[in-house]
Formats: sequence, structure tokens, C-alpha cells
Amino acid sequence: MISFHLCLTYIWPKENVIATAFFTGYVLWAVLLLWAFLEPKFWRLCITYVVLALLFMLPYLLNQ
Amino acid sequence: MNQRRYNIYFHTHTISGIIIAVLLYVIFFAGTLSFFKDDISAWQKGKSVVATDYSQDYNYLIDSLGSKYNLRGRNFDFFLLKQGHGTYVNMSTSQDTTISKPKPKAEGQQGRGRRGRDDGDSAYFLHFFTDKTQSSYAEGYDMGEFLYRLHFLAQLNQVPMPIRLGAPFGYLLAGIVSFLFLFALITGLLLHWDKIKSNFFLFRPWSKWKTVWTDMHTVLGIIGFPFQLVFAITGVVLIVNLFIISPFSKLLYDGEDAKLYQDLQYNREMKVDYIYRPLDKTVDFNAFVADWQQQWNGSKISRLYIRNYMDESMEVIIESKPDSRLNFAGSGYARVQMKDGKVLETKSPNYDTNHIDRVKSLVYHLHFGDFGGRPLRIVFFLLGLTGCVVILSGIMIWLVARDKPNIPVYKRRFNFWAANVFLAICLAMLPVTAFTLIMVKMLNKVDQSVIYSVYFYSWLVLSVYLVVLRNLTRINKHTLLLSVVLCFLVPLANGLSTGQWLWNTFAVRAYDIFFIDLLFMMFGLGCAFAYYKVKKDGKAFKVSV
Repeated sequence: MISFHLCLTYIWPKENVIATAFFTGYVLWAVLLLWAFLEPKFWRLCITYVVLALLFMLPYLLNQ
Repeated sequence: MNQRRYNIYFHTHTISGIIIAVLLYVIFFAGTLSFFKDDISAWQKGKSVVATDYSQDYNYLIDSLGSKYNLRGRNFDFFLLKQGHGTYVNMSTSQDTTISKPKPKAEGQQGRGRRGRDDGDSAYFLHFFTDKTQSSYAEGYDMGEFLYRLHFLAQLNQVPMPIRLGAPFGYLLAGIVSFLFLFALITGLLLHWDKIKSNFFLFRPWSKWKTVWTDMHTVLGIIGFPFQLVFAITGVVLIVNLFIISPFSKLLYDGEDAKLYQDLQYNREMKVDYIYRPLDKTVDFNAFVADWQQQWNGSKISRLYIRNYMDESMEVIIESKPDSRLNFAGSGYARVQMKDGKVLETKSPNYDTNHIDRVKSLVYHLHFGDFGGRPLRIVFFLLGLTGCVVILSGIMIWLVARDKPNIPVYKRRFNFWAANVFLAICLAMLPVTAFTLIMVKMLNKVDQSVIYSVYFYSWLVLSVYLVVLRNLTRINKHTLLLSVVLCFLVPLANGLSTGQWLWNTFAVRAYDIFFIDLLFMMFGLGCAFAYYKVKKDGKAFKVSV
């Protein structure tokens, strides 16, 4: 969730993205929590989360 | 929908739901009454706000402070109440060190937050413009404030915690409940997904109990879904937003929270250097405020800050909220140097709306229901009660679904015990609230601790009594009967103690006081009707333990 919105801060002003995250962030968190229950393979779940997080983090990490 | 997914939604919904059930009910019930917070306050004080003409007399307020303190060089923050009939005043010590005489701070004297701080020279209190009286926070505490704070479990903050949680315990708990509520809403919607259309209005009140509760739960849950989703999300945002703020502040602001809060327009930089040169003119704050209000088409002033009073560097900062009929989202702001009246910064509440204004206004307006007057609040109130019904029927489904021969007896005993306790606590709330409202009218001195004792002890006693009954039908009947009596006593207590009978308050257009009396009469009538129906037609309900 954090990494996804972090990625968005490269498109829109960061304070606007954070404000929007008030709504989208919590819903996304709830959906991610549900996903954890839906995914049958535990290892696949962990890998998906890590890969997605890293993918969205890329612009931030490259800019460091 | 395949069976596996259905089971997952079913179990996640059940577990998250039953865990938060009681706390969520408390939040819903207290919260839905808090739509009428201002009315309850006016009712308790016996002073109608809507029927009173008043002006926001800042000059008087400052003059009266001036007779007690030397005001030169002080900072003032005025946080106005929503209706504008009063304001919290925070007065700092003077920036002028020849007046404030800073003394070394004693160990352990660090205040606990903003409230109740008083080191002799600064002050924090509540001032009413209506009758020009002042009171401390604890004295001004009333049932409106109590219910409002109960709905985010603020009273639990005082529970001592063995470890540091990073947030007050009550708020944190309310936040977690709110988030689980959001989760339960999403799973509940998906669970019911295939039947949304076919069962949209499906009520079968003459069927067996389990069907009745299921219909109540699913149909009212779906109809109220948008409303509840809005409150789940805005609720989390309002109570534990630091979960979103702090990671972003670490990543994007190098941990400088202050900078982030400033970007999100929660705080503003207001540091003004003191220059030890007296300002040689008088300042008329009433005219100042009126002037800005006129410029902003009568928008409501929400905050007023005075920096370095009567120093040449004196600045006044004014913040306002637009009239929701003119502009739904927006915030006004002006910073003025008093020496020459130069406007340093300004932002109109009606035109210069930015994205952050829109998000924040959406959160506040939707959660407080303050953009459509009393009719809208009544609709929100009813939808809130629907939420209460959904929670209660959820508990009942949870119980009867587990009341089968193939479930071991010890598990069934536990389930019944849980449902028994949950229902007792939940259903006791209405009579206890009515009882406390009666007591605040009957007792001579009412402040924060009195309200706490009356409400929480009567709640405890009644809950224990209902738990001991060990019979859900009787719990229901007893609370209904008690609610009928106590709710009708509410307007009676008001009339007897203050003479403000319904017809009197209606005649003088004191609709806020009138409304609370009427509301509790409606509650009483509703409970009487329900009691009559349960007694006459109620089918026997029994679980097998």
C-alpha cells in the first residue's frame, strides 16, 4: 500500500497523494488482508507481496 | 462463486464481525446520538443556542482577560465551537520576558496533552458568547461531549497500559475496530454478492427466527452498505491516521512530521519574532472578524490566532470554513500584520479550493453529517440505528447458526454465554443513556466525574443483571420495558427541573431542546410498540443449552 502510493508521488504532488491515500490506502489495506486469506499457496502470496512492493518502490529506490 | 471462496468470505466475515461486535455497537450507538451533540448539550444546560441571539464579542473576552492578566506579548488561540456560540481559549505566557519571567521548568511538570494545562500564568478554558460565562473543560463537560467521546472510546485512554502503544489506548482500539469493520464490510458484501439483486428487499418477518435475523442482517446491511462504508473509512481516517501519516513522513519528509502536517494544512507556521516595541494603536477584533466574514460571503470562522499581542510585530491569523451551501469543500485563511493592516497571506474559502481541502472536507462533512441541516442528520441518525440492528442480528445469527446437535455441548455453552453477555451490554445502552440524562437533570452539580460515575456504574449494574437472567427473550423484554419508562421520563425530568416543557420550548423556538425531548419520546414510543408486539406475537425462542 505504502509503496504503491509512493510510486504515485512521482506522478502527482506528494501531499495530494497522501491525502488521497486517506481513502484509497485503508481500502487497499483491507483488500490486501483479504487476499492473504484467498491465496491458497503461502509461498506464492509472500512472493507476490514482496515483488509488488519492490516493483512500486523502484522509482523511489532509484532516486535515493 | 465457487465454494472455497464463499467459505473464506463467510469465515473471515464471521470472525472479524463477532470480535468487534460489542465495541462496534457502542461506537454506532453513541456515534449516532452524537449527530445531536449540540442539541444534547443545549438540552442539558437548559440554554437553547438556536433560540438565542448572540454576537461573537472578542473585544469583551479580551478586555475581561486583561483585567486579570497583563496581556502584552501573549499568544491567543481561539478554537470556536461548531455552532459558533462559544470558543475554547488557549492563552500562552507572554513572549515578553520582562512580563512572563520564565522560571526553570520543574521536573515532571510536563502537561498531559493540551487539556488541563495550567502553570498559573497561561490559561485554557471554554468561553460562551451566548451568556459571556467561562468554565474549565471538566466543568463544561456534558452528555453531548460524553457520548461524542464515547463513540471513539476516549474514556478508555485512562486505562493504564503496561507498554507504550504509540497512541492512546482508546483511540487505538477504536481505530482497530473501525478497520476490522471495513474488512467485515468488504467480506460481507462479497459473501452476499450473488444474492444482492434477488434478495434486495427480501424481508420475511413471519418466518422462523433465524430467517428473520438473516434478512435483517443481510438486507439492512446491503441497503446501509454505502453509508457504513463511508463511516468505516472516514472513522479510521479521523482516529488513527498516523498509520498512514508516519510511514509517508519517514519516507518522503525524512521524519519531519511538522512539515508534513503543514503540507496537509493541519498546522501552519505561525512563529513571529517578538521585538519589544509596543504597538501604538487599538485593535478592534470584532470589526476585524466581521470584515473578513463579509469578504468571504459570511463563511464561518473556525479559528482565530493572535500572536504577540500589542507588540509592533503583532499578527492575527484567521481560519474559516465555507458555508456548505456555497461551497462544499474549502478552507479560508488569512494572515494579517496588525501594525499596518497588511495582508501577508490569504486564501478564500469559496474559490481557492485545492485537492487537500476536498479530501478533508469530504472526510469531515460525511462523518459529521453537517452539510444538510437537521433533516440530513436525522437521516444519518436512522441509518446509524440501522447499523446497530445489523450488529445485533449478526450476533443472533452467529448464535443460532452454531446451535446444532453436531456441535459439542461445551462449545454451545460458550457460544450462548458470549451472545448473552454481548446482548446484555449492547441492549443496556439505551436505558442507561436515558437514565443518565434524567440524572443530570436531577443532580445539583454535574461535571465530568459525575457523568462518568452515573453512566458507567449504571451500565455495569444493568448489564450484570441482564447477564444473570440467562434468557435472551427476557433480556429483550426487560430492556424494552425499562427503555419505555426511562425514555418517557427524560422530557418529564427536563420539564420538572427547569420548567422547559415541550410546548414551552416549541413556543420560544428552542428547537434544540425541544428536539431531544421529542427524540426520547419517539424512542419511548418505539420501545413500547416493540414491547407490545413481542408480548403479543413473539414466537418462543430458545437455544438448546
